[in-house]
Amino acid sequence: MADENAEIALGLRRRDPDLLDRLIEQYQHRLLRYLVHLTGRREVAEDLFQETWVRVLERGRQYDGRRDFTGWLFTIARNLFVDQQRRRQPRSEDPAELATAATGQPSALELAMQHEQSEQILAGMEQLSAEYREALSLRFQEGMSLEEIAGVTGAPLGTVKSRIYRGLIALEPWLKGAGL
Amino acid sequence: MNGDIHERARMLIACGEEEPWLAAHLESCAACGEFAGGTERTARALRTIPITAGWSLVSATQMRVRQRARELQLRQERLWAIWICCAAVTLIAGFTAAALWSGLAWIGERISLAAPVWQMSFVVFTLLPTIVTAILLLARGTHLADNEEV
Repeated sequence: MADENAEIALGLRRRDPDLLDRLIEQYQHRLLRYLVHLTGRREVAEDLFQETWVRVLERGRQYDGRRDFTGWLFTIARNLFVDQQRRRQPRSEDPAELATAATGQPSALELAMQHEQSEQILAGMEQLSAEYREALSLRFQEGMSLEEIAGVTGAPLGTVKSRIYRGLIALEPWLKGAGL
Repeated sequence: MNGDIHERARMLIACGEEEPWLAAHLESCAACGEFAGGTERTARALRTIPITAGWSLVSATQMRVRQRARELQLRQERLWAIWICCAAVTLIAGFTAAALWSGLAWIGERISLAAPVWQMSFVVFTLLPTIVTAILLLARGTHLADNEEV
């Protein structure tokens, strides 16, 4: 893992386009999933997805390879989102929009069967505040440790724990609705 | 007090942490056990949510990144050109100053000028372009400031 991070750092310092192509492909689903949960809107997430990789190219020299690349990448994505939020006025959102927008095309029969359940959970996630959504997504979807989440979000460890706990409690009625 | 224990247990479960007393507590407390099961099912459900990046998004991103990389490379090359020009100008200025110093010293000697006189001339010659430019810029700045006031 450390070798891989060092190799990425070296490639980013050289602004190696082949390395970036490979990283974009490797992290495409994880980064987009995180951004969808962070922003609550697929189209905003897709814009930020592109911005994030351009920023990785521009700031790649700041990555020293000692830190896990995933955490660094998600921190960049998060900072871009925060900057965007500062610039933009808050918009009203249709709670159902995320569920329909964020759910991709089911690629297999079993995914189609899970569709309704996923919509319920996504609708529940949409009801949560961005911080809870982010904490749950990083913890359960990306499988990050509490320390890694604290690194990405810049929040103290206690706050991270509290967000995960409260997010789960807030999500409970939706999970019950989804039959979980 | 009892409520605190349940809250602590649930916080540990939610965060995937373990403490020696937790297992025993889960055996004796049905509500917290149910919460642990629910958390596990939630984690599984969240992992199965199908959010995937489409091929078009990935290829558009790769294209945009490559284009930006080319722009940055061009800018880097231009910066290099500017650095080389600066270095060349500094070098030429150094040689010119040395030649001017020797030339003025020679003239001063030929026409029997006191050293401070030709040395002062050297200073004036060297600094004159900078002084003139500074005066012009200041004048322009003042002019702009006056216009803004009106």
